[in-house]
Amino acid sequence: MELKKLREALRIDADAKPIRELNILLRQALSQQQDVVIENPRSRHNLGVALPAGGSVRFEGSVGYYCGGLNNGAVIEVAHNAGWGTGEGMARGMVRVRGHAGQSTGASLRGGTVVVEGNTGARAGVAQKGGVVVVGGQVGFLSGFMAQAGKLIVLGDAADGLGDSLYQGSIYVAGHIHGLGLDAVILEPPAAEIDEIESIIAELGFSLTPRAWKKVVAGQKLWYFDKREADTWLKV
Amino acid sequence: MCGIGGIRLAESGEIGQHLVAMMTALRHRGADSTGFALYGPYRPERLVARLRVEGRAQLAGRLDQIAAVLRQAGGELISPPTWDGDDTAADAFVRLEITPDVDIAQATTGWIALGGVEVHSFGHSLEIIKDVGDAQTVARRHSIRDFQGTHGLGHCRLATESDVDVAHGHPFWARPFPDVAIVHNGQITNYYKSRRLLEQEGYRFSSENDSELISVFIADRMKQGETFAEALRTSITALDGVFTYLISIPEGIGMAKDRLDIKPMIATHSPQLVVMATEEQSLRQVLPEEIETVSYGPAEVIIWN
Repeated sequence: MELKKLREALRIDADAKPIRELNILLRQALSQQQDVVIENPRSRHNLGVALPAGGSVRFEGSVGYYCGGLNNGAVIEVAHNAGWGTGEGMARGMVRVRGHAGQSTGASLRGGTVVVEGNTGARAGVAQKGGVVVVGGQVGFLSGFMAQAGKLIVLGDAADGLGDSLYQGSIYVAGHIHGLGLDAVILEPPAAEIDEIESIIAELGFSLTPRAWKKVVAGQKLWYFDKREADTWLKV
Repeated sequence: MCGIGGIRLAESGEIGQHLVAMMTALRHRGADSTGFALYGPYRPERLVARLRVEGRAQLAGRLDQIAAVLRQAGGELISPPTWDGDDTAADAFVRLEITPDVDIAQATTGWIALGGVEVHSFGHSLEIIKDVGDAQTVARRHSIRDFQGTHGLGHCRLATESDVDVAHGHPFWARPFPDVAIVHNGQITNYYKSRRLLEQEGYRFSSENDSELISVFIADRMKQGETFAEALRTSITALDGVFTYLISIPEGIGMAKDRLDIKPMIATHSPQLVVMATEEQSLRQVLPEEIETVSYGPAEVIIWN
């Protein structure tokens, strides 16, 4: 870590380069503990996919779909907006979007942290299997859909359908919940969990103002079929 | 998949150039066919028909047949027909300028009955040009880049429903309503039932593609007295399936999204234009700098006039 700070970041202009070539360059740089700045990402897809640990990558603009997908330890920053599936399937590391992100942010996340400072589209944290997704603004329709583990932390409001068909993931919302999805229930989070959530967001640089945290988990009615609860199933 | 896009300029400009660049950037979403709905100046004194005619070697004779059918439908050619410059092709893409009092439904049905004729559009302003292949291929053959106008739609197709051929490519014209066109990303699952209901009202369809239904459905709702926005809202509950579609009329472009928010759409604007597409990188072919964009939620309807 000390050495890295002494070295200047490598600057690469993405403009006309094939994505595959860029990702190979990024993998080589990070495996040599070399930080990288990518100029002109121009909202293209699959930037910074399957990167190893070893350094940071900053995209100097907006990126397209799947940025930071399958990340294996890199620290990735997007200076502007991101498209769909940001950090999809990440195992470890960090993807931080300074602007807004599209649908399915942190989809199937297994570990690490995805941070969106602005808003996300529909289905943030869909099928999340671990890790933490933090959204500074609002999350869209059906966020947390079928999440199996991990935390989705929302500092703003959540659109309708929140936590639909959850397994064991947990959703924490500071703002207004416009509507719950099937089988989602709101709990008051225990003090110890609030402390944990607030230490996560404080470490990420979000201000610690008083927040009315709500926790959304599975009501567990969809976990086992019970014909007396057929009404719940018929809504599916 | 499929990629869709549209552009609306404040003043007439290079919509062909823009839409070709936008569809080229979406090529990875499908290159089975590519098509454009282009709106030039609205001229009430004439209609433009766009046709694909098989048998290029016998084109003169076929054009005579087409003119005869046109006369039966109460129309006359205003100027001699023109067609694309690809003389090696087996078919010809023909453009006709026609007197405006023609019976559009009769002419369309009559031309199709000749065999080997597709009618892609009718309009005072609208011209639909579509062909198999990617945006660059279609643009070259049909000189799309030269087209000037106020607004238009583009579509690149990855076929999930119906055949891969010109007739099943987008955009679809709302036969027989002039100047209405649609591009669609998704699938309509109650297509057969909805189509049968419209056929019972006397409508005829030019393909087996589910997306053609949307254009006729919307135009019919407007004929029933709904506004453009109301018709789009009606479609969200009347049509079942996965869809984000763009529909254009001479006044502008509308968008509707299904209730589950499955298919993408993103838009941005500048003082000179509004541009919308499936993906942001398509918008950046028109506005290359970093842009602020708007995306849309479930069951949303937007009109860009």
